[in-house]
Amino acid sequence: MSAAGRTSAGWWLLILPALLLVLVFYIAPILQVLAISVSEPEPGFANYERLWTSEGVQRVILTTLRICTITTALALLLGYAIAYAITLASPRARGWWMLAVLVPLWISVLVRAFAWVTLLRRQGLVNNMLMQWGLISEPLALVWNEFGILVGMVHYMVPFAVLPMLSTMREIDPRLLAAARGLGASRGQVFRSIFLPLSTPGVIAAGVLVFIFSLGFYITPAILGGGKTLMAAEWISLQILDLIRWGLGTMLATVLVLAILVTLIVFSRVVDLRRMFGTGG
Amino acid sequence: MQSFQQDCVELALRQWRAGKVDRRTLLSGLAALGAASLAPDEALAQAQRQLVMVNWGGLANQGFGNNYGAPFIAANPGWRVTQDSTGPSAGRIRSMVESGRVTWDLCDSSATSAIMLGGMNMLNRMDYSVLKRDDVIGPTFAMEHGAAPYSFSSVLVYDSTKFAQAPTGWADFWDLQKFPGTRLLRRDASGPLEAAQMSLGKDMANLYPLDVRACLARVREIRRNLVFWTGGAESEQFIRTGEAVMGQIWHTRAKVLEQESNGRFKFIWNQGVLQPGIFVSPRGNPGGEMAQKLLASMLANADQQVELLKFLGNGPTNPRAAAAVPEEFRRFNPTDPANARLQVPQDGIWLGANYQRVNADYVDMVTG
Repeated sequence: MSAAGRTSAGWWLLILPALLLVLVFYIAPILQVLAISVSEPEPGFANYERLWTSEGVQRVILTTLRICTITTALALLLGYAIAYAITLASPRARGWWMLAVLVPLWISVLVRAFAWVTLLRRQGLVNNMLMQWGLISEPLALVWNEFGILVGMVHYMVPFAVLPMLSTMREIDPRLLAAARGLGASRGQVFRSIFLPLSTPGVIAAGVLVFIFSLGFYITPAILGGGKTLMAAEWISLQILDLIRWGLGTMLATVLVLAILVTLIVFSRVVDLRRMFGTGG
Repeated sequence: MQSFQQDCVELALRQWRAGKVDRRTLLSGLAALGAASLAPDEALAQAQRQLVMVNWGGLANQGFGNNYGAPFIAANPGWRVTQDSTGPSAGRIRSMVESGRVTWDLCDSSATSAIMLGGMNMLNRMDYSVLKRDDVIGPTFAMEHGAAPYSFSSVLVYDSTKFAQAPTGWADFWDLQKFPGTRLLRRDASGPLEAAQMSLGKDMANLYPLDVRACLARVREIRRNLVFWTGGAESEQFIRTGEAVMGQIWHTRAKVLEQESNGRFKFIWNQGVLQPGIFVSPRGNPGGEMAQKLLASMLANADQQVELLKFLGNGPTNPRAAAAVPEEFRRFNPTDPANARLQVPQDGIWLGANYQRVNADYVDMVTG
């Protein structure tokens, strides 16, 4: 017992420098910035009162939550199908699938947003094609609205949804599926009562990851939203850089950080976070 | 790919660091290569004192360097002016001043930021014994905490292939029956609110104070037919790709559109919102009083302002400049007397004092 305690203390000593580094150069400055939310324009919680009184603040939060929820749902749906296909694919095909999932991940978010603009705008590829085929007579409003933002964000998030779900699915013992089939279950039953429940931890992990990631989205909504949709990150930057209302900007930043921490705490009770973020063990 | 010249510079710097050549030789060598600006700060700090001018990037780096920096350097031996394109937003200036480590001398800012930051005691007061009020064409160009060596305007631009009749002002902008199609506005209260107020028929000479509530309601009327821009390049793109058929954009972008489309896109000066390109000096700037002298030289050099007009399109603010503008550029000069007469000079003092509230309400309305 005491020997084990000594070893553990030794490990703690080893990570102490890294811990101090993070505390002094990361945590402390962040707290300092967030503290502005209770000290400006005057000490107190006036900035937080706006959460209840200001329609503008509420709208930004609701818009952010709505877009993030829809993005998460769509990314999970698409990601699940892809992860399922990869799990069942032959090893050779699996390599190609993985490449197809990972390549978009390496393309800059800015490039991808502009590519979507080129595709979706009034005289873009999609509208031109639909008009040529005579399916529509007027260009559809595919961008400069929430639809455009969702397209861009889901596209960005799908790989992040695929990866955690894939790692869970690949741990499912294929013999279980074979056994169920042998016992007379249909393909649909096997999926519903064996595969789906066993892959649920991966779905939750992917959902948490995608949702938290989406909360801080800045570039994609700014470019594809046509200025009419304001999400939290862009709103914060507007307050800090242009309007110099730092108290208000840091208030929403604090709310965002707290929302992320609460989400993580809640879900850490449901799923094993360490496994989800790949620290293994 | 590294150019031959870059390689020479690299070699020269290595020799200097190794102590094989002295500083004087290094600097004259770099100057001979046309690469004095590549010399490391350590070498130059001993040789010259510098002023840092901060712009928003793009061609401004070159334009401001050649037309604002160069004349000052020529007149003040021992000083040099460097360009920094970080983008001096009000928030960045504030955090720099509050941190106590100011590295910027002059920032390309705005009238509203000059009022906001000036009110927070973040800026040096302009010294009008150094700067000359006679060097600018109007009172909105010489403020308490900033002065404008250039001007720009928010003008009405339209796609001439879409309308049989040309729009003549903001009333037409709001007339969706006569001029159907998507409209483009900046997602910032500065410009759109003035346009809304003019469309409501208020006399241009007495435009301010704006009736903010009425202006916001006016913009809301056509909200379904609006798209919004936040950056200049974006505004140009919206018009060029046909996303919007009429818009309020900066005249510099409108000029590019008109010229590159061979007149398909046209813009009018009538009811444009003429604004000062205010430079401010953060409190505690490293160059001290010299920053004011630099700004004074920028205001006084009419010829260089004309050069900047030719290069970037920024309008001169020196009263002697307009006459020196060549004929083919007069059409694009916002401060040419013939054009200035048609526009309304923005009241930066009113807007600055109300900007935080008005802009928040505007953004709320846009995103609501």
